Amino acid sequence: MPIQTSLAEDGKTLVIRIEGRFDFSTHQAFRDSYEHADSKVTNYIVDLSDTTYLDSSALGMLLLLRDHAGGDSARISIENCNSDVRRILSISNFEQLFAIK
Amino acid sequence: MSQNILRILIADDSDTDRLILQALIKRLGHEVIEAVDGLDAVKKFGEDHPDIVLLDALMPRMDGMEAARHIKVLAGERLVPVIFLTSLSETEDLVRCLEAGGDDFLTKPYNRVIIEAKINAFDRMRRMHDTLSQQHQEISERNRQLLEEQSIARRVFDNVAHTGCLDSPNIHYHASPLSVFNGDVLFASPLPAGGMLIFLGDFTGHGLPAAIGAMPVAEIFYGMARKGFSGADVLREINQKLKLILPTGMFCCGALVEADFKLGQLRVWNGGLPEAWVIRADGDPVLLPSRHLPLGILPPEQFESVMEALQVWPGDRLLMMTDGVLEATNDHGELFGLAGVRRCLDRPGSGRHPFDAVVEGVRQFSVKTAESDDLTLVALDITDQPEVPAVQEQPPPSALAGPTEWRCEYEIRERTLGDFSPLPLLLHICLEVPGLRTRGGEIYTLLSELYNNALEHGVLQLPSEWKHSADGFGRYYSERQARLARVDGHYIRFSLHHTRKPGGGRLRVVCEDSGTGFDFRNHPLVSGQGGGDSPRYAGRGLLLLKRLSNNITFRGRGNHVEIVYDWNFSEHQGDGDDR
Amino acid sequence: MTDRQHLDEEALAELQDVMEDEFDVLIQTYIVDSRDRIASLRTALAASDADAFARTAHSLKGSCINIGAPRLGELCLEAEEAGKAGDLGEGSELVGAIEEEFATVTGLLDRLLVR
Repeated sequence: MPIQTSLAEDGKTLVIRIEGRFDFSTHQAFRDSYEHADSKVTNYIVDLSDTTYLDSSALGMLLLLRDHAGGDSARISIENCNSDVRRILSISNFEQLFAIK
Repeated sequence: MSQNILRILIADDSDTDRLILQALIKRLGHEVIEAVDGLDAVKKFGEDHPDIVLLDALMPRMDGMEAARHIKVLAGERLVPVIFLTSLSETEDLVRCLEAGGDDFLTKPYNRVIIEAKINAFDRMRRMHDTLSQQHQEISERNRQLLEEQSIARRVFDNVAHTGCLDSPNIHYHASPLSVFNGDVLFASPLPAGGMLIFLGDFTGHGLPAAIGAMPVAEIFYGMARKGFSGADVLREINQKLKLILPTGMFCCGALVEADFKLGQLRVWNGGLPEAWVIRADGDPVLLPSRHLPLGILPPEQFESVMEALQVWPGDRLLMMTDGVLEATNDHGELFGLAGVRRCLDRPGSGRHPFDAVVEGVRQFSVKTAESDDLTLVALDITDQPEVPAVQEQPPPSALAGPTEWRCEYEIRERTLGDFSPLPLLLHICLEVPGLRTRGGEIYTLLSELYNNALEHGVLQLPSEWKHSADGFGRYYSERQARLARVDGHYIRFSLHHTRKPGGGRLRVVCEDSGTGFDFRNHPLVSGQGGGDSPRYAGRGLLLLKRLSNNITFRGRGNHVEIVYDWNFSEHQGDGDDR
Repeated sequence: MTDRQHLDEEALAELQDVMEDEFDVLIQTYIVDSRDRIASLRTALAASDADAFARTAHSLKGSCINIGAPRLGELCLEAEEAGKAGDLGEGSELVGAIEEEFATVTGLLDRLLVR
């Protein structure tokens, strides 16, 4: 599976881990990952350690997650990006919307 | 089990064998067409279009192999199984049958079970092939329709977006014909006061959704640019519109550039596109990275439309591109990237235009991967006075309909001075006069010179000579921002007055501001006498006003300017130079 | 010489079943057809046309096998192979044997029709 989800020990942080290419082909799986999550989830970590590539439709999916998580009050951090992925996020200035670590 | 009734052609010169075979096949419920030799078989195939053909290998006049070749040609796209009837036993004879297009063999003596099994197997294969080719045909047809729809959509889009002034000699661009269906848009418009506005955008997604988002952007861009709105206004409007109409997750990476050739100034806003480049005449690059979120994400109250100002000189070139350029991939799966662009541009003295260098660089890099459809590139040459091809104006419905006798006064005060430009509104009022419609550029220039002088030198007290050095330029604009934040107690007031005259009309514009004014009586350009530099109207502004208007008068302490602009129906657009 | 049967009774029974009313027509056709082809064999032999000899033997072989006359089919195969090899030295003997076997088969088939 290119997308794996797990609940952190605190029981309210959902960790979404994406392997390989994060693009339109992962659209449905990415949505499912948070829409079917536990209702106690309030925080999200998008773990991109194993993400090799990210395109603009992935940026769109991140915005959908942000909406789902409450828009401006969303608590989402994007973690462990490689330099290519990081560059795409920063060209689009997504650090204004997400905590990028 | 229900089964198809097939039409089966059998060709055998032996009456005995033919009699047996036709009886066997009729008993299976199929229809039989008989032929006595190869020539007869080809003729009857053409007439009766059988589904399966059984051919004796050796026949007089034309043997089975040659008949099979003719039949396969006649069948064309249709799959018609050809089964050879034979008592041939040598391998090389069987191979010849296969080479002639035979699909199988039936050996003598005929066995009814085997005949039935083979006919049924070939019938299934034949039907599968029919289904496939029918689906293939449907897909081809669907694809043809899609392409046709795209080309119609493209024409509609072109009508809305047109090419603006992309054909100007100082603009170079590369955009594939259907690039809009890859989500790329490129617009350019001349500004009423001279200069240009260029927008390069890249919508998320592909196909129709991306193209649909492009339509309102085109409308807003061309509509507002023509009316003299500032780049920041255009950006705010586009962002607001896209935020409203695009679903979450869809947005538009874009860069807007406002070029003022007279001032030698570029104002750039980059939200999500790769770095824009300014290549100085000597080859030095200046990078203008994305500093904003793409358009259509932030709500209007959070949207940041401040444009970065950069001083430029003739010979400088601006280059902007969509990420298709950086994402071009070579045979080894490597990306072109920012490094690729840098490699292309890092050859000063090669004499090549940076645009050509990058286009050629990408083309060579991704020579075998057809990536070039997905990228858009635009370059703008900074020149002294670019020739901008006239953008066709809508002809006025009637040259005489519309207000000709009117007066209005409009005053903006306090913090509004920093937030709002009254120019589009004032221009709009003036252009209601039928005879002024074709003179929008001149009117806009007059109004904006008056307004900018009143604001920057009158209200804000900025010394214009700052603008003439590289250091001062930056200082000028940062100071302008700072002073705009504290303009309490100030105002700028416009009084517009239009009257009819025989064969035309007269527009009077009075502009007053709350500033301290200047010593116009001793100003060299006003009084016509030599003298020292003055803090106001030092540059081209006053010259422009003097040239475009019939009369200019300063009053009060120099904070009250009146111009008179006469026009005639018989004159054409652009005749203002003769005044 | 071959030791195959003159007539394959089982095959003929099946043909009778398949052809129904047309069985007699089939037998008549076979006899007329084969007589023509045997005449053609003689003609080819007289003209020393090994190729035509082989082709005619091949065709005759096919219908003999189909009708259920395996021994005659076997003789035709020998004739076909001789023709293909371009060796008509034994041609006359071969055609003679074919004619003799054909007479036997015809006699047997006639009885079948009378029955």
